[in-house]
Amino acid sequence: MSVIARWLGPVLLLSGAAFLLSDYHNDVYRKMLLWVALALGYNFLFGICGQVAFSHFAFYGIGAYSVVILLFQFHLPLPLAIVLGVVICVLVALAVAIPSTRLEGFYLALATLALAQLFVVVLNEGGALTGGTSGIANYRLPDIFGVRIRGPWFTAVIVLLVVGTYAVLWRLDRSWFGRACRAVRDNPEAAAAMGVNVARTKVIAFTLTSALAGIAGMVYAFVDNTVNPPIFGIDNAFLLLFMVIVGGAGRHAGAVIGAVLLFLLPFWLSPVVGHHHVLVFGVLVLAAILLQPRGLIGLFDFAKKPS
Amino acid sequence: MRNSLLAVLLLFTAPVLAQETIKIGVITDRVGVSKPYSEPATEGIVFGAAEINRKGGILGRKVELLIEDDQSRPDISAALARKLIDQGAVFILSMSLTAATQQQQTVTMEAKMPQMTPMNSGDTLTTQLQNPYFWQTGPLGSIQIATLLAHARAKNLKQVALITDNSDLGQLLAKFFKAGLEKSGIKVVADEVVARGATTATPQMQKIRAANPDAMFMSGVLTAENVLIFKAYRELGLKIPIHSSYNLSVPVYMTVAKGLIDGVTFVDAYDPEKPEVKEFETAYKKATGKDSFNLHGYGYDGIMMVGEAIKRAGSTDKEKIRAAMQGLAYSGVMGAKGMTYSFPEGKRAGYDPNGMVVRIYEGDKQGRVVYVGQK
Repeated sequence: MSVIARWLGPVLLLSGAAFLLSDYHNDVYRKMLLWVALALGYNFLFGICGQVAFSHFAFYGIGAYSVVILLFQFHLPLPLAIVLGVVICVLVALAVAIPSTRLEGFYLALATLALAQLFVVVLNEGGALTGGTSGIANYRLPDIFGVRIRGPWFTAVIVLLVVGTYAVLWRLDRSWFGRACRAVRDNPEAAAAMGVNVARTKVIAFTLTSALAGIAGMVYAFVDNTVNPPIFGIDNAFLLLFMVIVGGAGRHAGAVIGAVLLFLLPFWLSPVVGHHHVLVFGVLVLAAILLQPRGLIGLFDFAKKPS
Repeated sequence: MRNSLLAVLLLFTAPVLAQETIKIGVITDRVGVSKPYSEPATEGIVFGAAEINRKGGILGRKVELLIEDDQSRPDISAALARKLIDQGAVFILSMSLTAATQQQQTVTMEAKMPQMTPMNSGDTLTTQLQNPYFWQTGPLGSIQIATLLAHARAKNLKQVALITDNSDLGQLLAKFFKAGLEKSGIKVVADEVVARGATTATPQMQKIRAANPDAMFMSGVLTAENVLIFKAYRELGLKIPIHSSYNLSVPVYMTVAKGLIDGVTFVDAYDPEKPEVKEFETAYKKATGKDSFNLHGYGYDGIMMVGEAIKRAGSTDKEKIRAAMQGLAYSGVMGAKGMTYSFPEGKRAGYDPNGMVVRIYEGDKQGRVVYVGQK
């Protein structure tokens, strides 16, 4: 089976589902898919490369704000705005990643947490450029070749983003670079002894996953046609971490399961248990950490294992 | 046999009866950062809807509330607005974070769904999007500050101290306070910040004492940090008057700052001496067995205005409701005596600029009104 055919099936299936859903379910589906894209990228950074960073969601915001500002404040054409948006994400990621190579574990987490906090402060204090506390609204995705992409067609764009993100990370994971990332995660000294440039591997992984988060943010900017600081708040950085841990860190399928489950949990549980869904969320996270350190994906492995 | 027939009849008529209700969507926050504000305001809506139904409903139909929890997450809030539209709501009341209300608007504007926030105070909610289907009846932030400053001018203050916390809203309010004070010719001689999670505010209060201000303005919104400020104020034996933002109108201070807040003035949208307030408090207590306060009033006024608009529209047609809402003039629980919410000349922020009051804490209780409006 050719590479294109291998990925075309999931794209058609996931996109086709959008045409069967109501407006509400389509909206939930779109937002869930974006969380899946984010979790996939964060899983590569945290689960595969072992970098505990809290800036991933901030890059989602940087991507979203960049594309909106470049399109509607600087009036650039869409392709240029997208390219420049990616460049901004890459530059910011490099500016964080290069000095951060001296940091690891807890200290890297703190440094990236500071970046995430700083980003929200900049958004609030950004005046007319970022719209301050109110953010930016009253815009819409420019027509592409005279066609306005909306509704389930826009969901199809998000499906392409998710499958594309998955394909890139899946391919990387199976490459020399993926093995280098796992080696750096498991034992940096041993990896260095084997000829892996630890600092460069960390910088590339951080920059690449941050850029992917930025691209997801660019798509998010047109889901509700508004961007504002609370959307990119620090709470989401922790939710993303929980998604990867609950699903199973280091496994792409785990990231998908974790993102789908934790994003949809409040929607499923709210009508049944009301606001106690937060309690269920806490219990689930604790149970996953205590009972199944390899995450929910570990349960599948257990079930598959021959007795 | 008769029972079986009745059961079959009910089975077939139940959907018809269900259609007879007027569905009003409510997006609130039950677990997120807005919970302390959203929950009592939503209780006010529930009480208001029960009152409407007790009096026969609207257009002969009962009101059915569809309440959703957005956790103060704007993206989820917008999705829930879509859900309520799919479920047949004819109006959406937003009781969540300002940013969440804003994100819902992107949905309601597209769907031409009437929407109102009875409690959000962000000034840009009706200006950022030209959404003719959205109204705001919560007192705008600019009105709150103008009222507080008018009260300050009446006191002939020459130099004041400003203290806040490092939350986004606290910082924003401090900026507005400072600009407003300086514009009024009042010099800010000390400008202090208490960080979130601080264990004392004594150093900041010592600096304020050294600056010898005529009064102190508080714009912080973090309860624990505000309590630290009051504690330090008492410990240092300061006597300067304290003028606080709207945050002090939340009744939680009556329990967490016991013995610390006597004499503090704060801006509010609630006059306990107003006849409508007395009537509301009595009815709420009778119906629920609980005491009500200002936040309940926001929700109550919100549902009552929506009910009135639907009644005037004479149908649940969204365009007719929009027109009726725009032409509405309504006097409710909130606001100074005689205040009326209205939306003249196409405006969609309906709180009267002279409808806020300044109140004073008497002991640990939120006491009398000492100033009205911003004239």
